[in-house]
Amino acid sequence: MSEYAAAAAPQPSPAPPVVAARDLTKVYGGAGSTVRALDEVSVSFSRGAFTAIMGPSGSGKSTLMHCLAGLDTVTSGTVHLGDTEITRLKDRELTLLRRDRIGFVFQSFNLLPMLTAEQNILLPARIARRRTDPARLARIVEVVGLGKRLHHLPSALSGGQQQRVAVARALLGDPEVVYADEPTGNLDSRSGAEVLGFLRDSARELGQTVVMVTHDPVAAAYADRVVFLRDGRLVDEVYGPTAETVLDRLVKLES
Amino acid sequence: MLRTTLAGLRLHKGRLVTTALAIALGVMFVAGTLVFTDTLRASYSAQVMGSAERMDAVALPEGESERPLPPGLLEEIRDLPEIDRAEGMVRAEAPLLDPDGRAVGTLPTLAVSVGDPSRYTAAQGELPDADDEAALATSTAETAGYAIGDTAEVLDADGERHTVTITGLVDFGVDPQVGYQGAVVLTPEAASRVTGVEGFAEIDAVAAEGVSAEEAVAAVDAVAGSGTEVITGRTLGERLADRAGVEADSMATALLLFAVVSVVVAAIVIQNTFAILVAQRRREMALLRCVGARRGQVFASVVLEALVVGLAASALGVLAGIALAAVGFRVGGEALDAGTGAAPLVLTPTAVLVSLAVGTLTTLVAAALPARRATFTPPLAALRDSDVATGLDRRTGWLRTGAGAVLLGASALLVSYAVATPSGQQGLVVVALAGILAFIGVVVWSPLLVRLAVAALAPLLRLLGASGALAADNARRNPRRAATAMVALTVGATLISGYSVINASMQATTDDMLDRQFPFDYQLSAQLDGEGTGTVPAEVTAELRDSPAVGSVIADRSAFPEAEGRPAGYRVATYRGADLGRDLESEMVAGDLSDVGPGRAAVDEEVAAGRGIGDTITVETSRGERDFEIAAIVPTSSQLWGVTLVPRDFAAAFPEITEDSTVLVTGAEDAEPREVRAAVDAALADHPTVQVVSMSDMRAQFDGVLAAAFLAIMAMLGLAVVIAVFGIANTLALSVLERTRESALLRALGLRRGQLRVMLALEAVVLCLTGALVGVALGVFFGWAAGVAVLRGLIFQLPTGQIAAFLAIAVAAGLLASVLPARRAARASITAAMAGR
Ligand SMILES: Nc1ncnc2c1ncn2[C@@H]1O[C@H](COP(=O)(O)OP(=O)(O)O)[C@@H](O)[C@H]1O
Ligand SMILES: [Mg+2]
Repeated sequence: MSEYAAAAAPQPSPAPPVVAARDLTKVYGGAGSTVRALDEVSVSFSRGAFTAIMGPSGSGKSTLMHCLAGLDTVTSGTVHLGDTEITRLKDRELTLLRRDRIGFVFQSFNLLPMLTAEQNILLPARIARRRTDPARLARIVEVVGLGKRLHHLPSALSGGQQQRVAVARALLGDPEVVYADEPTGNLDSRSGAEVLGFLRDSARELGQTVVMVTHDPVAAAYADRVVFLRDGRLVDEVYGPTAETVLDRLVKLES
Repeated sequence: MLRTTLAGLRLHKGRLVTTALAIALGVMFVAGTLVFTDTLRASYSAQVMGSAERMDAVALPEGESERPLPPGLLEEIRDLPEIDRAEGMVRAEAPLLDPDGRAVGTLPTLAVSVGDPSRYTAAQGELPDADDEAALATSTAETAGYAIGDTAEVLDADGERHTVTITGLVDFGVDPQVGYQGAVVLTPEAASRVTGVEGFAEIDAVAAEGVSAEEAVAAVDAVAGSGTEVITGRTLGERLADRAGVEADSMATALLLFAVVSVVVAAIVIQNTFAILVAQRRREMALLRCVGARRGQVFASVVLEALVVGLAASALGVLAGIALAAVGFRVGGEALDAGTGAAPLVLTPTAVLVSLAVGTLTTLVAAALPARRATFTPPLAALRDSDVATGLDRRTGWLRTGAGAVLLGASALLVSYAVATPSGQQGLVVVALAGILAFIGVVVWSPLLVRLAVAALAPLLRLLGASGALAADNARRNPRRAATAMVALTVGATLISGYSVINASMQATTDDMLDRQFPFDYQLSAQLDGEGTGTVPAEVTAELRDSPAVGSVIADRSAFPEAEGRPAGYRVATYRGADLGRDLESEMVAGDLSDVGPGRAAVDEEVAAGRGIGDTITVETSRGERDFEIAAIVPTSSQLWGVTLVPRDFAAAFPEITEDSTVLVTGAEDAEPREVRAAVDAALADHPTVQVVSMSDMRAQFDGVLAAAFLAIMAMLGLAVVIAVFGIANTLALSVLERTRESALLRALGLRRGQLRVMLALEAVVLCLTGALVGVALGVFFGWAAGVAVLRGLIFQLPTGQIAAFLAIAVAAGLLASVLPARRAARASITAAMAGR
């Protein structure tokens, strides 16, 4: 608790929150053995901020992200995306919400194997029958550095390239928030750095709100802010992190 | 290894359910056929054995001779001390009249006598015991429309009517003669009086107390002269049972032919399932190899799995087959003269073992190839992450393309040969061979065909939005898998559409033939007598000619001349009242029918034997040989086959023939159909045995026969289609399983559950439609080829309605096949799937 108190000093709030979770609780399992994966978590994310969620394995990072993104239902508490209380939405409305207002980057298996890189990038737009702005597509493709590889199948791309395709896809629809679950978990450090740098730039330059789950202090250092989870509870938070400060907090957390 | 396999089976049992069903359905057909025909055979032989075993000695005319046994012999047998009682069976023709007073059937009914003892018993009511009583064969009573208690008339040899009261019904079982002709059962006295026959077709005897059947036979044999065969009742029963068994055998052969189709389709489905399972478990197999399993052990583990699945599914299939046979026998037994269907089912070990073996071996053989492929898994594959790379094989080798082209080319050559030289049976064999080659060609080409079909359908699918576009991409991502699933359906589709084409073409051809060659309202002919000939009395023709309601009457007379005491082998005919070439037409080889006149004849190709128009032909007549000039040559299959003369020449050549064999009647222009019918009925009132067929009846009869065969064959081929659809459902289900994470990703990206379901449904529809289209193309082509090769002058008719219906069924089947896999895919939790849980 002491660490939490230390981190709870007044913080700058540059913009109104895009995503806000309040008293989020998620319990897995039925009678007998239950797992409290999230325990009354309240957290919010501001527009244009790049936030990392950290914590030891099993602390509930992925669960938090899934609940924030409307991929999973919550046991209690609320999640707002803008003015929408997504915890009240039905499956169908959630699907449309994900399609139109949220971008995703997963740790692995981000791409459909039978579609080319470009087709994968355009997939959400195709599902939504949305027109894509060719200029925006060209710019994103250029920034992500995929120009030559656009017409390759995922199996012909390296892991880093695959993740960059996924990031391009997440950004193309100009979503209100991009969720990334360990986007660099499967990458070597150089490819990881490329992807992370790219996520940071999109937050700084495009004003894109990004929430990233990671257990890597180096990755977390790319973010503007890091929140720490342990046993399903929000226990700490750092602004303007460096790899050292993050590692430092983690060591304290696990002790 | 065994334990690993069984554990794997338990884990994957869901994936094998549909495969098991495919095997079970095939085996069900085999087992059902075997049990059904065994039961049929048993109930046939129970019938005949039961009736024959009551006799100790039976005397029959020897060999094929129909010469009756003399009445004196019966007296001698009765006087034998070894014999308790004996009775002769009269069996000869006596036409039964239906309630309208017309003779029943194209052949006169048989009069069969029963006395004491008799092999026959009444199935309902009682046997006759007075001379004015009669029982009817159950089938005869049904066709003629008689019930117990009715009165009926039977004609005697002089055409006099005898009135009898119907006291009962007799099941004759499989007696082909009774089957064709029908039977009236009379007392011995009534039977010999009505038929005018003095002797017996059979004498049945029961031995005296303490005398064995063999002794009785010996005693009877001693009094019976040569030309008489004496056997025990048991021997007679066995003989009859054998004869009945032949019927059951031929039915078994026909049914098994269709069962084989189902089993082949099941084999294709099994092969595909195991191929997919092996591909999906590549890493598992590689891991086994890593920890030291030898190739043989990996092979054995897959084969073992196939063995377990094959055995279990076959056992299920045998049970289902027994149930099917029971239902089939209850429903169809009576129609097959096997009695009322109360007979117990006959389960021979052979039937059960054969069915089990067929199912298990088919499964093993089908799984062998995938199992072999499994052994080539390199141990290193375990270490590779194949999430993304799985199942993307878009190449088609040149070898494949070339081999397919060669096969299809060879098939096309064979067909063009068969079509160019129509030769009946042989042509059919050539076409069948070509069909098999073409089918193999299609199998070889199938991955290519799938891709072509998807490419063709893709623009259409894209119109349906993201689901459609994704479905198109999915359908071609693994062409070989899709192709095998498709080919299974193609088998059934080919056979069904091929048969539909033949059926429609035959129907068109008979309709056309009836229209062109028989443009008449009624055809009158005599009930055939013993020699297979018979005539319509001249006064009938005369009365019809006089009737104002009748427009034209064409009466034909024919003779079968002999040369030096042996048949000359052709028919000589004339058509009185016909203007040849106008009222009566025919296909022509050469010349013109209207040129036939005095001294000038029309002949068929065989009679012409190479002669041409204007040549002279010598015809045997009852006044010796006569020469005619050939005016026209018709095909041997023409209704004007043989030699056709003008009436004056015919009368001079065969003065003894004064009656007509058939009379063709057309109503007058202004006469109502009702009036024409009345005129015909009036002319025939005194001639009950003359057969009347209205052309509309004849057409309905042809159509009825064709339609019944069509339905039966469709039902049997339908099972092959059902199995193939199971295969497609299975392929889809396995693909869905493999693509759980893909589905989750799509859902995370905003694809609605409904859209996901539509995507999978479209994928299945594309497969089914492709399989059906390829099958329809093959079927139409080979149906046409078979028809043309076998029947010259076949009018090709495309059954568009049936084919459209079949394609619609294929689409519906695709939708149905996708229901369960799609449900499963749409229900899966996104987060669990993404986490790989
Ligand atoms: N679908 C599930 N069913 C049951 N328990 C789950 C499920 N998903 C996660 N958990 C449990 O919830 C806790 C948090 O999991 P998760 O959010 O995946 O952790 P992290 O991503 O931080 O490693 C863990 O104890 C995990 O075992
Ligand atoms: Mg996690």
